[in-house]
Amino acid sequence: MDKEGYSIIGTRQPLVDGLLKASGAARFTADLTLPGMLIGKMLGSIYPHARILNIDTRKALALRGVKAVVTGADIPGEKYGFLRSRRDETGLTRKARYIGDPIAAVAAVDEETALEALDLIKVEYEELPAVFDPEEAMKEGAPLVHEEYERNIVAYRGCDFGDVAAGFRESEHIREDRFCSQAISHGHLEPRATLADYDGSGRLTLWTSTQSPFYVRRDLSLVLNLPESKIHVIKPYVGSGFGGKVELSSHQVAASLLTIRTGRPVQISLTREEEISTTRVRAPMIIHVKTGVKKDGSLMAQYLKCLADGGAYASSSVLLMFSPGLTAMIPYRLPNFKYDGYMVYTNKAVSGPMRGHGANQPRFAIESQLDMIAEDLGMDPAELRLKNATQAGDTSISGLVFNSCELSKAIKESTKHAGWDKKRGQKNSNRGIGIACSGFNSGARIGGHTASACYIHVNEDGGVTVLTGSSDIGQGSDSVIAQMAAEELGLSVSDITVLSGDTWTTPIDPGTFSSRVTFYAGNATLIAAREVKKQLAQTATKMLEANEDDLVFRDKKVFVKGSPEHFIPFGELVKTAEAIGHGRVIMGYGQWAPTNTQFPDRQTRYGNISGAYSFATQVAEVEVDPETGQVKVLRMTVGDDCGQVINLSGAEGQVEGSAAMGIGHALMEHILFGDNGQIMNPSYLDYRIPTAKDLNECVLIEVGSPDPIGPYGAKEIAEGLLISTVPAILNAIYDAVGVRITELPATPEKILEALERKKGEKRR
Amino acid sequence: MKKMVELNINGEIFEIEVEPHRTLLEVLREDLGLMGAKEGCGLGACGACTVLVNGAPVLSCLSLAVEVQKKSITTIEGLTKDGQPHPIQLAFVNHFAMQCGFCTPGMILSTKALLDRNPKPSREEIKEALGGNLCRCTGYKKIIEAVESLVEK
Repeated sequence: MDKEGYSIIGTRQPLVDGLLKASGAARFTADLTLPGMLIGKMLGSIYPHARILNIDTRKALALRGVKAVVTGADIPGEKYGFLRSRRDETGLTRKARYIGDPIAAVAAVDEETALEALDLIKVEYEELPAVFDPEEAMKEGAPLVHEEYERNIVAYRGCDFGDVAAGFRESEHIREDRFCSQAISHGHLEPRATLADYDGSGRLTLWTSTQSPFYVRRDLSLVLNLPESKIHVIKPYVGSGFGGKVELSSHQVAASLLTIRTGRPVQISLTREEEISTTRVRAPMIIHVKTGVKKDGSLMAQYLKCLADGGAYASSSVLLMFSPGLTAMIPYRLPNFKYDGYMVYTNKAVSGPMRGHGANQPRFAIESQLDMIAEDLGMDPAELRLKNATQAGDTSISGLVFNSCELSKAIKESTKHAGWDKKRGQKNSNRGIGIACSGFNSGARIGGHTASACYIHVNEDGGVTVLTGSSDIGQGSDSVIAQMAAEELGLSVSDITVLSGDTWTTPIDPGTFSSRVTFYAGNATLIAAREVKKQLAQTATKMLEANEDDLVFRDKKVFVKGSPEHFIPFGELVKTAEAIGHGRVIMGYGQWAPTNTQFPDRQTRYGNISGAYSFATQVAEVEVDPETGQVKVLRMTVGDDCGQVINLSGAEGQVEGSAAMGIGHALMEHILFGDNGQIMNPSYLDYRIPTAKDLNECVLIEVGSPDPIGPYGAKEIAEGLLISTVPAILNAIYDAVGVRITELPATPEKILEALERKKGEKRR
Repeated sequence: MKKMVELNINGEIFEIEVEPHRTLLEVLREDLGLMGAKEGCGLGACGACTVLVNGAPVLSCLSLAVEVQKKSITTIEGLTKDGQPHPIQLAFVNHFAMQCGFCTPGMILSTKALLDRNPKPSREEIKEALGGNLCRCTGYKKIIEAVESLVEK
């Protein structure tokens, strides 16, 4: 039992489906088969920008074993898109906008036949001039990727709080710097896959690797012109997504069209090459940041300008561009802040949501610059953070309300634990230590529907089934929800079965993104569990002759406070309660969305968009090899405020996973675009993600205190952490060898080049 | 032109007809219903397809079914005996050494190959042995801790 008196919350719990995964029995989408199943394959455009004049499918259809070929001409419905305001995709397109843009799909009896059929499809293209650089794309006269968008600007978001001009005038030191963040692939180990089955009665079922079955359903309904209630989307085990699998994907559209056409189940699995080059990437961004401070380090004003390369379709554009402005306001007290963010279409792979969703790139810029400012002022970078750290009870000038915040504690504890004072500024050691801070929203209310709900069924043996629309894609939300239900009902985690992500049986839910699941679905689960207790209490109070307030649900028993020996076993209570009178069914229902949030004002963008914010400080220790430029990350020490930790192992797992992902973003990962916008390294051989040899020490120090709004006081943890990893590492590199890399990734070549330049400057 | 092959998988003999160019991964998944080995990249770069052939870790997406005849093949399904999970599987579960679980079968088999040939690996040796199994979720730390818990004292 921990200090809050919990038996399960805050402890280490193995995943509820751990054994299933360890035994290889967990079924992912590509593991599923149905009788008569066909294999589907996609055909992508060979040009970066071209009208599809004609697609001759006759030879392909004539090949033995080929059952159907579909193209953009077969789309019965309308355009779809993550945002209602930016629907610009049809899955299979009639105008190709990047190399690999899907234009046709084939279903055949096996993979080989399907691949052969792709080669037999004759496409007549009308090549169009293309544009690949976002700054070029914004110029007058640049080719338009989508005709309706002037100068290819798909999204602009900006805000202007306080008086930035005055803030700069009153500043005693100002810096203006430019940074670049590169395109990244999500790298989830499971390639996207879909098994689609149209049963001839008008009902379409999809088993698909997704973070949001309900978004898939919504957009499929639009593009197929089928009612949502006739579309059943089921999420099997999913091999992670990191934001890449939130939206409807071309292959889901293609598989649906093919099953409807053939009347047979159709499975499409993407290859890794298709995964990297024809789905989504993290938006490449150019960031300009101008910051003004007083000599004592107090932040006076900040102007942030971001230019994001959006690629060929909108995806989450507007939301992504909202994020830099939003998240810049979280970690520090900023009295004046202005932001301009543009996302521009180019004829390249599409930029979409990825863990952090537009917060990571500006955070890298801002935190790097804060270190540069600290150096200019002769101030310790940790002191500079501490000086400006947000405090609990603050409201930012943009209206964000911080009910709980332990950032100062995170800074102090992480630096102390890492030995900051001793390790900082060691000359001639090639070792360095760096710091960065960040904050993130626990879910966000930017527009549209974002509530979660939960049903709880109870069985007479005391076992409980929890149904939630939120999707466990490996982050462990099913386990967290099981823990919360168990704690509330006084059962053990093994008594709880969680079913998630099925559009016919689980309540509607936006899905897994924006780090909302623990916060929203957790609260919905608590409400449902309390409902169950209330219903059972009606019977228990009579059986125990007690008041409802004196009942305790613990250890699978129900008893009166102070008399645990006079108990009713939970299962027996359920049985009795359901048999009473005319008979009844004990069932809990809960729904939840935060009530302390508002949509941001349409003009000013003012508003508290999240119920609670997490905070983190990361301290990175690195060793740079001056001969090779290689960087070894020796240790990440993370001070984290996620409120109340629900599962300690889960929390650590998120810290360690985000440390590895951050190392990739900081040092090694880079999607390389060729002259034609083609991705030149679409394989794990040429696009390197960290291996077991790349992560050394990683320590989590939890400093949070329970948040008033979060379930059991919990806030988000998984997404916010990644944001400060990259700048902590880059700042550590500067401390180690005195080179400041402003264009990610900090490859060995760049570091060597910078070291050479530094030597050259020294000589002069 | 299909060939008759005899494959010894998890102690069971399978006689099937396969085309010579089919990979072991394809045959396991499509012909034998053994879905534990996964395709993560198709090129042998991620390790999700790892199986053991005569005790050594092998990338089944790069192996031909016809070339592993007369060899003893172990897949993840072969680790559970009589409904009892293997100690490596239990260690992974108890140390929270997986999140999404997609890389897990390959990771566990690479671990088995390591511990079978070296029951007392150092941390560096563990990292080296698992260096060919990519994981995007965990950051590897808990995987390494799970393996270390199995190292003979």
